[in-house]
Amino acid sequence: MFSNITVAPAPHIDERLSTRRIMADVVIALLPAMVAAGYYFRVYGLVLIIVCVAWSMATEWVCNLLRKKPNSLTDYSAVVTGIILALSLPPALPLWAAAIGSIFAISIGKMVFGGLGANIFNPAMVGRAFLTASFGLLMTTWTVPATIDPQMSTIGPAKMLDARTQATPLAWSKTAIKKELNAKVYAKEQITPAFTGEVGGCTGETSAIALLLGGLYLLLKRTIDPRIPLAVLLSAFIFASIFYFLNPDSYVNPFFHLTTGGLLLGAFFIATDPVTAPLTIKGKWIFGVIIGTLTMLIRIAGEYPEGVMYAVLLGNSVRPLIDRFCTPIPAGGKPRA
Amino acid sequence: MPINLKSRLSFRGGVHPPQCKVLTQDKEILPGPSIKEAVILLSQHTGAICQPLVNKGDTVQAGQKIGDSEAFVSAPVHAPFAGKVKEISLQSHPVIGRCLAVVIEAAQDTTPRPPFFKLSPDFDENTYSPEQICDAVRRAGIVGMGGAGFPTRVKIEPNPQLPKHTLLINSCECEPYITCDYRIMLEWTDQIIAGAILAGRAAGSSNVYFAIEDNKPLAIETISTALEKHGRSNNTKVVPVKTKYPQGGERQLIRAVLNKQVPTGGIPPVIGVVVLNVATAAAIADAVINNNPLIHRVVTVTGEAVSNPGNFYVPIGTPIEDLLNFCGGLTRQAARVIIGGPMMGIAIADMKTPVTKTTGAITVLSQEQISRAELQTPCIHCGRCLKICPERLNPTKIAHAVKNYFWDVAQNYYISACIECGCCSYICPAHIELTGYIKTGKVFLARQKKKMPA
Repeated sequence: MFSNITVAPAPHIDERLSTRRIMADVVIALLPAMVAAGYYFRVYGLVLIIVCVAWSMATEWVCNLLRKKPNSLTDYSAVVTGIILALSLPPALPLWAAAIGSIFAISIGKMVFGGLGANIFNPAMVGRAFLTASFGLLMTTWTVPATIDPQMSTIGPAKMLDARTQATPLAWSKTAIKKELNAKVYAKEQITPAFTGEVGGCTGETSAIALLLGGLYLLLKRTIDPRIPLAVLLSAFIFASIFYFLNPDSYVNPFFHLTTGGLLLGAFFIATDPVTAPLTIKGKWIFGVIIGTLTMLIRIAGEYPEGVMYAVLLGNSVRPLIDRFCTPIPAGGKPRA
Repeated sequence: MPINLKSRLSFRGGVHPPQCKVLTQDKEILPGPSIKEAVILLSQHTGAICQPLVNKGDTVQAGQKIGDSEAFVSAPVHAPFAGKVKEISLQSHPVIGRCLAVVIEAAQDTTPRPPFFKLSPDFDENTYSPEQICDAVRRAGIVGMGGAGFPTRVKIEPNPQLPKHTLLINSCECEPYITCDYRIMLEWTDQIIAGAILAGRAAGSSNVYFAIEDNKPLAIETISTALEKHGRSNNTKVVPVKTKYPQGGERQLIRAVLNKQVPTGGIPPVIGVVVLNVATAAAIADAVINNNPLIHRVVTVTGEAVSNPGNFYVPIGTPIEDLLNFCGGLTRQAARVIIGGPMMGIAIADMKTPVTKTTGAITVLSQEQISRAELQTPCIHCGRCLKICPERLNPTKIAHAVKNYFWDVAQNYYISACIECGCCSYICPAHIELTGYIKTGKVFLARQKKKMPA
């Protein structure tokens, strides 16, 4: 009767939750963005996602073999990294470049630190930063969505077309400000397409509505902490609003900033990566504000039109410091020494 | 008095494990099995271990004191029934592993009779002086029956430096599965009210509160009605609190009911509060009014892997094996036998381990139900444990510090403030035994400070 009895420390039950479940939830939440990518960039978008995921998984498998560690593909974290990387790349990026990015993201971004849970920087952003530094031209060559131009012609960074078939809305607004065009008119015209996704841009970043749907799913499932996306979006909005109200002619509408570029993908899916975000509740607010403000600072004052990637990486780098300064105080106050 | 049955009174953090109380909540307290021998552990409480007062071969009477200690923080133990001392030897102890115990061979049938207690209308607690109550409590060997086993006399004794103005009767029973306190509230209502009033008299508390989780509306109603009937509802009140684990932790309960926070490292009397478990209150009434020692208690035998779960009134010292057999044995799925509930209970391997004064339940879980630490994956820093920690600590940091023997780090993150409720392990998606590590760390640190033998 007692032959199968085992002992272990309390508690003896657990909430049926696992790392794999969390990662699977993120993949589910990314589905709308992937569908949008397929809709606007057709085969380009889908193949890019498949290639990134496949190479990410292959890299993780090989790294585990080299490290003589058990296979860790079943936690799905490599899949998440692959998808997020693909969604943050331009749709027309050659597949060999996407493969290099994936390999770099997993191997240098994650596995050299010891695998899941040990990396300092968000692996997908490490991969993207590597590609931006190495293949600047490819990373700024954009595609016109298939719903506007069935030929899906590509646009180089220098090429300026009309408002609907432009590079990315952010790049356009930047040029518009430089050339002292009227940014206000432009933003108004672009805000609906930016919401649905019918604009040029990174594969999965164009459709705000798809990303919001996914973010909502993660929030409802309590997979991510609402503080980080809230802090990122609020701080970015406030930062952009200040400049907008100071000079509405040369700075674009803050709502435009929220819906374009990688801000939504970053707020809901990249900054919330638990491994590279702070542990503490206060720390999560600080981390979110750092990312939101840095993004806006880069977008408004910097040379790049987009800033989410560098903002996230910079935020990641101060994460241990944030956690150190935000040691939670016990419920009963600090004990008297 | 209309009672609001849904309560918002709570603390910050905590988890909502499945209640699983339906298995036994409607089962009346029945007499337990008749047993051949009882194992009376000489340490069933926090504090000094008792010395045996009998020798091998002695004949003992029911309720005879068989072990005691001179120390202030201690409680004597008594023989649960008449019989002969078979041996005095080391026996399995649920908490400290092995402990000296008196084994008593029963002289006759030992089927216990549950007490019948009626609060007479002319009951007046003022006929007992606080000293009388404290002495009776000490004599009866009463300890906190909720699990910690702190000697009750030490708790309720008046202290001029720290007046105890409020007495909380902890009737939360927030652990899943366990229903012994719930049944006591329904069936021994008069007895616990008398016990609470006596304890309040001893401690000099002007307010007495019964804190009951709002998933037990029947208990809330029963006690409120009884209080009204006895005309005690002026300074004795029922306070429903939110159903959440660990609502019954005394620090959490004080926060929920009184909106006060016991300082880290402090005890409730520091802010003028005493917390007693309902079963303890029942024992106090029995000890003071009827002069009976604490030799029986109600134990819930429960879990999906037990054939016939129920609530039983058993002599302290009953081997758990006898109790499980009495319930029809275990099913084939049984994978873990736990003394206490699934959140804080202690898994046992030796089924001869006896019931002690603090054993409220035997929970048997099946293989599918138990947590799977063998699937442990790396910490992904999701912060869930920080969010639900009722003491607002950083469990993952402390646990990983312990794992790597960084004692200073563990202490900087307040390892000693952990109440070991198990919420962090429960919620962890990486299946890390955070609570296990923290408990281990506490033992290591205590040994370093020579507070505990190695």
